Amino acid sequence: MMDMDPQMAAALQTFFEESRDLLQDMESALLFMEEQGADLERINAVFRAAHTIKGSAGLFGLEEVVRFTHRLENLLDRIRSGSKMLTPSNITLLLSCGDHINDYLDRLASASPLDQHFLAEDLRLLAALQSALEEKSISADSVSKKGAAEPFSSGNALEVYAQDENPTGTDYEFPSENPVKTAANWHISLRFGPDTFRDGMDPLSFLRYLQQLGEITGLVTLTDALPALCVMDAETCYLGFEIGFRSVADKASILDVFDFVKDNSTIHVLPAHSQIAAYLKMIQQLPEADQHLGEILVAVGSLTSEELEKALALQEDTDQAGQHLPLGEILVDQQMVQEPVVHGALEKQQQQRESKNAERQMLRVRATDLDHLVDLVGELVIASAANRLFAGQEDLEPRLESATQVARLVEEIRDGALQLRMIDVAELFQRFPRVVRDTARTLNKDIRLEISGEGTELDKSMAEKISDPLMHLVRNAMDHGIEATEERLAAGKSAQGCIKLHARHDSGGIVLEVSDDGGGLNREKIRRKALEKELITAEQMLSDGEIYALIFAPGFSTADTISDISGRGVGMDVVRQNIESVRGRIEINSTPGQGTTMRIYLPLTLSIIDGFLVRLAQDTYVIPAEAVEECLEYPQTHGSIGYMELRDQPLPLLDLSTVFKKTVFTENRRNIVVVRHGMERIGVVVSGILGNQQTVIKPLGKLFERVPGVSAVTILGNGDVAPILDIPTLIQRHYAISAKSAPVH
Amino acid sequence: MEMVAVGGASTEQRSWPGQYLIVQLQGEAFGLDISSVREIIAYIVPTQIPMMPDFVVGVINLRGQVVPVIDMARRFGRPTTQIHKRSCIIILDLQDGHSRQRLGVVVDAVNEVLEFTAEQIEAAPQFGAGLRTEFIRGMGKVAGSFMILLEMGRVLSLEEMSALSAVAAEADAIGAVDSGS
Repeated sequence: MMDMDPQMAAALQTFFEESRDLLQDMESALLFMEEQGADLERINAVFRAAHTIKGSAGLFGLEEVVRFTHRLENLLDRIRSGSKMLTPSNITLLLSCGDHINDYLDRLASASPLDQHFLAEDLRLLAALQSALEEKSISADSVSKKGAAEPFSSGNALEVYAQDENPTGTDYEFPSENPVKTAANWHISLRFGPDTFRDGMDPLSFLRYLQQLGEITGLVTLTDALPALCVMDAETCYLGFEIGFRSVADKASILDVFDFVKDNSTIHVLPAHSQIAAYLKMIQQLPEADQHLGEILVAVGSLTSEELEKALALQEDTDQAGQHLPLGEILVDQQMVQEPVVHGALEKQQQQRESKNAERQMLRVRATDLDHLVDLVGELVIASAANRLFAGQEDLEPRLESATQVARLVEEIRDGALQLRMIDVAELFQRFPRVVRDTARTLNKDIRLEISGEGTELDKSMAEKISDPLMHLVRNAMDHGIEATEERLAAGKSAQGCIKLHARHDSGGIVLEVSDDGGGLNREKIRRKALEKELITAEQMLSDGEIYALIFAPGFSTADTISDISGRGVGMDVVRQNIESVRGRIEINSTPGQGTTMRIYLPLTLSIIDGFLVRLAQDTYVIPAEAVEECLEYPQTHGSIGYMELRDQPLPLLDLSTVFKKTVFTENRRNIVVVRHGMERIGVVVSGILGNQQTVIKPLGKLFERVPGVSAVTILGNGDVAPILDIPTLIQRHYAISAKSAPVH
Repeated sequence: MEMVAVGGASTEQRSWPGQYLIVQLQGEAFGLDISSVREIIAYIVPTQIPMMPDFVVGVINLRGQVVPVIDMARRFGRPTTQIHKRSCIIILDLQDGHSRQRLGVVVDAVNEVLEFTAEQIEAAPQFGAGLRTEFIRGMGKVAGSFMILLEMGRVLSLEEMSALSAVAAEADAIGAVDSGS
């Protein structure tokens, strides 16, 4: 790749990021249309994405991208204008094109060479695009699976005219609703903004581009705004154009041509020979003298001289009436335009503006900067806790009050800082429609994906870590969960299987669910397999939950055949490990014949947890509050050592002082904290309970990574360091040790 | 385990002239390369991390950062360092692969900083220093006698210490079985 200065390199980086976002948008729009049928808005979105990538790539001189997206754009343009249908095969082609561009960008970003594989794909796609352009498209009957090919244009202002029965009964000619449209005459009035050249645009290129949509039948260049040569700024655009235009494209597509300049320029697109009132409105809005403009319109061929006279007479009438009503109102009064039409158009404009603004209000921030900020806020939380502690020791009311105030603000800052790292779960889910679609094809199953719970937020780094395990669960559910079509029909189910992805908040954490409506887990098969692999013994009595949990054991797979998708038995154990590495856990619910639900419980963030502080001799330890079920007083007498009875159930006891080799003076009152991990419960014996506290997790370095029982440490308000107990490991170790010691006793 | 010199063949013929921080440890003086010393703080009681080998005293809160503290004497296989008024913790920054690791070591006292030229540093003896040879960078000559200049990268080798921690934790588990409950 070429050498470039740092500024350019940074801009290129932005280009990569934006292009990936655009490709993602494009993919979701295509997938949506595959499911729900084509709609103009999404086709336009896809087109715009391709167009923007092409434009930006041109800026960086990435000829390859420009060349490829140009071809892609050709097809999209035909689809947009309605001369080609968005057939399922076209969608597949467009998706592959998106992948290809993405691949190319990845290679550019990592400076890896374009290999044979890439070039072959490039050629294949270009050929496919070419043949898609050439093939007759009218035969294509349906876009959506449901067979309802919706008309392309929906929701643009012009169409509202056409749908309403026009009471004035004028014989306006509107673009037909058929996907194959008849050519219509349009009048386009352009006044380019003064900064057009400075923004790097060339009016001429827009006109050239316009010609791709149709034929320019007449054109007058307006130079009225051009000042005297001595005051003229060569970099300012003073030009305006009045254009007669004949095209099959609808108004929205024509407007889209001027997408890049629409913010600063005045653009009017009107059906020719039709809406005199609309012309009138336009004439009044434009800076040039009315008469002069009218003549130009006649010259361009958009108006006849009769129509012009009528329009000007109308304008005079309104002026004579003495009340200078806004033009829109007059038009509505005179039933030349219907109120809903005006409203519709206005609302539409408003929406577009708002969505544009929302995009602009986002800020790209370096992840490391953000992490640093969150770290500092963590320090602040600790410092503030110490501050309040000391303030409480002095008996000074105002001092304590201000410390409390600071603490409250710090808490707000902490919440705000953590919020910065949060992303919408929709971002995590957005990969899945494509994956499900492709996997379903590979498996030759008809599977639909339902996503719900968007708006639930989770930590970005957590989302990154959970993405692959989630993917694995979805693939697994599609491969093993959902039965083959014949099997489904035999069981009286619909042929189409369904995978559901759901997210929700649940008591200070997040729950992600992957459910399928397949055959459910086969309890006996799992048991047999586990016996075979010697994971359990024949005499072990296991609950359903315990049996299901076996599929997370290393090397466990019940699949009879090994497919590309899953079945190698690597995976489920890795899934569990990955989930546990972010302090999450996974649960399985399964009903034979009705399906399986995998439920992943995740903490809200990775850096701060709700801690439950306990005392052991003089030391403080933290137990993650999510693991704590209840607290009990240590019974004065209990039966066998190592167990106690809790509501008629035996509760294994784990004496922390024994495990940690602490000499605890036999205290009169000891406490038991009942903790749970998955299905296992255990009572942890401690000296005392200190209560809940928000704790900032400080990872222990490499030195402590192989130490079981302690996952990290935290710093308490008084500056002391307290270890955070690793409950899952403690429980496992306890069982392992008990098992080893059993034969001894 | 007895701490004797193991496989002393790897002695590099390389001297490390420069400034060394001289510390006192159970009556013996050692030199620490000053470039890795970050700061010296008065002794504060570290928080014990359970199931760690005995040379890991615990962790301290160093202005919001959690730093492990090592008892160097225990690491040398000598008795545990007793804490008294002049005890202090030396905070070191050590390069570990690509990452930098911050560690603290407990010493009885800090004496002075000495400059050693290449001629004043002799190669480590194969035996007789009462220390694993790989821990010794060289012998510094001061007023006719020698003191050990430590190779802190080896003394505080994370890889080795972490492996030892795992062994200690395992031994703990077995110990728990032996003790019965």
